[in-house]
Amino acid sequence: MNNLQFRILYREFLFRMVDLELLSPQGDITKLLGQFAGLLIWISSGLLLGALFFDARRIPPNALMTVLWSQEHFLIATTMLVVGLFAVLSWESTFLNRRDVLVLAPLPIRARTMFLAKVASVATALSLTVVSLHTLAGVAWPVLVFSPANSGLLGMIRSLAAYWVTMLSAGAFIFCSVLGVQGLAAQLPRRLFLRLSAVLQMAAFCLVVSVYFLQPSLATPRALAAAQNQHALAWLPSYWFLGLFQALNGSMHPAMAPLARRACLGLALAIVGAGAAFLLSYFRTLRKIVEEPDIVAGVRGVNWLPRFGNSLETAVVQFSIRTLLRSRQHRVILAFYLGIGFALVSLLWKNGGPRRQADIPSIVSPIFSSIVMMTAWVVGTRVVFAMPLDLRANWMFRVTSVHRTPEYLAAIRRPLFVLSVGPVWLVSAAVFLSAWPWRPAVEHLVILGLWGTILAYVSLYGFHKIPFTCSYLPGKSKVNLMFIAAAGLLQAIGFGIASELRALHDPARYAELVVILGIAAVCCWWRTVALARAEESVVLFEEEESPAILGLGLFRDGALPTEAAAAPNPPAY
Amino acid sequence: MVSLNFMLELRNVTKRFPGTIAVDNVSFSAHPGEITGYLGPNGSGKSTTMKMITGLIEMSSGEILFDGVPIRNDLLAYKRRMGYVPEEPYLYTHLSGLEYLAMVSQLRGLPAKPAANCINGLLRLFSLHGDRHSPISNYSKGMRQKVLLSAALLHNPDLILLDEPFSGLDVGTALVLRSLIQELAARGKVVLFSSHELETVERVSSRVVILHRGKIVADDSIEHLRTLMALPTLEDIFSQLAVEQDTAGISREIADLIGA
Repeated sequence: MNNLQFRILYREFLFRMVDLELLSPQGDITKLLGQFAGLLIWISSGLLLGALFFDARRIPPNALMTVLWSQEHFLIATTMLVVGLFAVLSWESTFLNRRDVLVLAPLPIRARTMFLAKVASVATALSLTVVSLHTLAGVAWPVLVFSPANSGLLGMIRSLAAYWVTMLSAGAFIFCSVLGVQGLAAQLPRRLFLRLSAVLQMAAFCLVVSVYFLQPSLATPRALAAAQNQHALAWLPSYWFLGLFQALNGSMHPAMAPLARRACLGLALAIVGAGAAFLLSYFRTLRKIVEEPDIVAGVRGVNWLPRFGNSLETAVVQFSIRTLLRSRQHRVILAFYLGIGFALVSLLWKNGGPRRQADIPSIVSPIFSSIVMMTAWVVGTRVVFAMPLDLRANWMFRVTSVHRTPEYLAAIRRPLFVLSVGPVWLVSAAVFLSAWPWRPAVEHLVILGLWGTILAYVSLYGFHKIPFTCSYLPGKSKVNLMFIAAAGLLQAIGFGIASELRALHDPARYAELVVILGIAAVCCWWRTVALARAEESVVLFEEEESPAILGLGLFRDGALPTEAAAAPNPPAY
Repeated sequence: MVSLNFMLELRNVTKRFPGTIAVDNVSFSAHPGEITGYLGPNGSGKSTTMKMITGLIEMSSGEILFDGVPIRNDLLAYKRRMGYVPEEPYLYTHLSGLEYLAMVSQLRGLPAKPAANCINGLLRLFSLHGDRHSPISNYSKGMRQKVLLSAALLHNPDLILLDEPFSGLDVGTALVLRSLIQELAARGKVVLFSSHELETVERVSSRVVILHRGKIVADDSIEHLRTLMALPTLEDIFSQLAVEQDTAGISREIADLIGA
């Protein structure tokens, strides 16, 4: 293997884990990756606080073990969730794409070098993910909390090593499992693989998210030993790695022994299986990728879509629907937001559902579910609208811009209603009208519709972009602040649901609530439309505006640079 | 008799990018019924000029007029009358050819039924009808070029801007396009097209504008240029005006360099 070739390819593949074509020409890939790392470190600092404020003296001795196990399990499960999401999001970059093959195949590079460079880049990205997530927490928890009592410095070091080995192993297990499934699917005919791959990616995503939020709490000696839980434990890898941590940490309870064994076996199987499937499929893919198209041919039946207003609105809405249906990366990002909504709903049904607690009215869960799913869908759709597809093709929208800006901005608003508010409202209507008496069902649907409208107009405020056509500039939005905003939104949802519950039993209060929401919806609509109608409004195709002052790049003597020193070619579009 | 009002006119158009002047004080006009060839070596500023004429990028100074009116006065009305084929066939590859053209017709606000008939006709005449439901990602470069041509002509524009329109086309389609350009000009359209295929330009164009390092070095009829420069072909004229390099010398150096 040529070391220089390996290093060049390794670096190239590592920085291509994120789709560069999403970025604005002014965008910097290192900034985007830094933003991801920053987000993980921010989560890690939250985990660190937990360790710093953990006071074992306040916990009764008989409950301490259970509390520690729960904390250990939480950290392992969170690692598996993050790595699982990383594996799903980097699904596209696991194999060489068509462009890689077309560029690299004519060069004298061995397939083995490409393969190893790809594996090394994927492994590095995986390690960086785990390390970023545990930068701060990965020292505090094992040293301050998990090291066995009176074990001294050696105990702390052992606990630290056990922690990192466990986290990296848990991450490797989930990553290799996803990779193995993908590698096995790649053995199918390529056309079938491409079709199945999209389904598998979504299925993997749903599985990772739902297991994290829905798995039962079994981190007690009694639950681990109970016969009825053995079947569940056999299918919950986060508990296997809890066993592994206990074994490595030297604090293993007998109930953990079979779990630790299962972790080792599972990890070995996942690595060997993924390696074999990946190797097989890799060389097969190298041969097949040039011969067959990336997108399966369309059929006439799905080409038909109804009109959605005037011709401009129809064009924008149909373009948005087709893009969302056909672009895997956009679907995955949307699924991420829906997954968060789904997780919140699942948590409520699991912990506070009508069957568990008699004091909670049976209407809370359905109301909460519909409001949360509406929120997740609207926010997720609005986020994916800002991510471009085939960015360089957006010249067509600019050349055909024969309408006034307010008409475009009106057309831009429509897809959000068609793709998010409308479907959630219609599904909710079907569910509520079939399950509830018509009056409360209609009352809730009115409130749900108003909430969706408010949310859509708020999220569209200042959004002057045709969906999927404007470049993305990383680092512009403050991800950390978005988390705080999301927490505020959850509070607002909670307050809103409490208000609605009171109002559903009191017609006067209901009328008051509808009027307030109605006024809020009209205000949001007016504010968004007024901004759109402002004279300075323009449809944006580039996140970064051109500078107001143009630098001429003059030399000190006032002359323009010579050809040799001239700036690179002007931007394409 | 064709009205001269449709004329496209560039007056002292300049485009500066940081550290470089891409187009320097360019002035010329293109008339209806006339095919104007816009020539120049790579990096001479042809595509930048085309993008300024389409309104995709703004000029640093100067004026572009169509129909005697600065295009900036009413860019929307101007775009309704302009069709453009860009140099690079960037298209939304997740859409089928039919979907793409339907979207363009909707964006232009064309009436649905006549537009659908026109799209079908264009797809048939460009031999794309059989693949109209396949995603553009499956199309060859020539097929993509045909989609771009169809999109540019769909609304029967008065001004047709073609940036390397023959790129990737097979011989048969290139002959059709050559003839089509002449037919459209004969029907009173203003046609401005840039190409590196000098033989095609020589056969099709009535006038040529030659650009070199962002500046116009020739703007005349081919016949007049031939007489003026006492050179037999457009290729010779172009070499004299815009090619500074000693082509034979460079070839020898390259062969020497690789040790051939």
